[in-house]
Amino acid sequence: MSRLWKEFSKGLWTDLPPFKIVLGLCPVLAVTKTADNGFGMGLAVIFVLTLSNVFVSAVRKIIPAKVRIACFIVIAASLVVAVELLMQAYAYPLYQQLGIFVPLIVVNCIILGRAEAFASKNTVLLSAADGFGMGVGFTMSLTFLGGLRELFGYGTLFGSQIMPESFKPFSFMIEAPGAFVCLGIVLAAMNAFTNRQRRKKGLAVLDNPTHDCKTCGICGH
Amino acid sequence: MKPISGSPVLTVSSSPHIHCGRTIKGTSLQILLALLPAAGFAVWHSDLLALRVLALSCIVAVIAEAGCLKLMKREIESDNYTALLCGLMFGFLMPPSSPWWLIAVGSSLSIIIGRMVFGGLGGEPLCAPLVGWAICKVSWPELMNFDMSMLTSELTYPLSQLQNFGPETLDEYSLKSLLLGFQLGGSGAAQSGAILLGGVYLISRKIIRIDIPLAFVGGVSIAAALFYTISPVDYALPVYHILCGSTLFGAFFLATDSSSSPVGHFPMIAYGLSAGILVIIIRVYGAYPDGVPFAILLANLMTPLFEKIRPKPFGGITNVHLQR
Repeated sequence: MSRLWKEFSKGLWTDLPPFKIVLGLCPVLAVTKTADNGFGMGLAVIFVLTLSNVFVSAVRKIIPAKVRIACFIVIAASLVVAVELLMQAYAYPLYQQLGIFVPLIVVNCIILGRAEAFASKNTVLLSAADGFGMGVGFTMSLTFLGGLRELFGYGTLFGSQIMPESFKPFSFMIEAPGAFVCLGIVLAAMNAFTNRQRRKKGLAVLDNPTHDCKTCGICGH
Repeated sequence: MKPISGSPVLTVSSSPHIHCGRTIKGTSLQILLALLPAAGFAVWHSDLLALRVLALSCIVAVIAEAGCLKLMKREIESDNYTALLCGLMFGFLMPPSSPWWLIAVGSSLSIIIGRMVFGGLGGEPLCAPLVGWAICKVSWPELMNFDMSMLTSELTYPLSQLQNFGPETLDEYSLKSLLLGFQLGGSGAAQSGAILLGGVYLISRKIIRIDIPLAFVGGVSIAAALFYTISPVDYALPVYHILCGSTLFGAFFLATDSSSSPVGHFPMIAYGLSAGILVIIIRVYGAYPDGVPFAILLANLMTPLFEKIRPKPFGGITNVHLQR
């Protein structure tokens, strides 16, 4: 049980996608114009990521190693088609907002990354916990980034007016360059926070934290 | 190390031992001095409106830099006047009628996003005042539009006239009136004559090298002349492109920003030429009447590429030798 919780919770902070493992940036930059969009995208990713981890883990012993990537893609693609049809049926406005980025979940690096780094080496239950945790982390990040951009770009949060009437929308935040700037600031703030924690614990401060194999430790390389 | 007694006879220190005496503070003071005539003209033309813009922009920039340095636990070095200079240059680009919050936001973002997030002075990959300007331009286009924000002024904005009504409208501007700054535009950037004076002063004092301004103006002239020879009816004379808008301000003050422009003769000339040609391309085909800020930002992005062009070291092994 503790192992299960460990695999689930690592997606919430230590390996929080996409801020800690900088993967799957395409939807992060493109769909986070509003908190609603970010949240909807996150839900779709939770669904695909959890189920793809489960299926990949279930068939991990019968897939030949040489064609495993193709198999992962096929599994992810089938799930994404399911999500797309579900969204068209039950959340059509959101589907129209997200547009091309729903089919593009197939090629989201996080899906493939978790399948390759975790699900293809672990049991079904652990993989499900890992996928669900990562998905929840991804949803949190996207909602946070979307909320930040929506708050300044439109003056609203989840569609309701937050800023006073006299506030002139800071449209830069909802344009593409604003997404990059926001993401950069969030990453910098997280690194600063991590360094502060390390300093409190008396550990050496990472002068220029990089996301290489030494600091990440996701796949145990 | 304290001397044992009295004044030291010999000072032991590491190299360099000879210093040319140029300091950051001295350089920025010289540039500020070169900007003064344009600032004076701006205040005169806008009936003191520009004074408010320039003063607020400078104050906010200095406060933003000091705040960032405090946050980064570094020594506060506002006395080298670089933040003041950055704020003044940002103010030069803004319409004199800008509301106070627009100036405050733009000026502080110039310093924070344009400079301090890259590690402070000397680390900026883009000309810092232009970063703030671009953010404001994208966010609040109606306030940054000189025609719409300066309705009460009797002056007109020649570049939007050119874009909307064709080059014959430029005939109403005499060269003398353009040089004296009788045109709408950025509060200080439109004072072409005063800017030219300041630029020549900087070159004569060897604060900036002549390569970039010359190549920039050359690029603008070549591209504009090319369009003019293709069709004199549809495109304006090169001299209008040089004197209207912020071309000269860009050439002498923005493009020569020390940390975002390349070093070396050939890279500087390539950088200036490409920025100048981009100005005309944006003015002719783009949606923005004045292409100078975006052209310089794009050229800034190409700076690392231009810096790959390096002189052959004396006695260094060339490829020819290696092939043998």
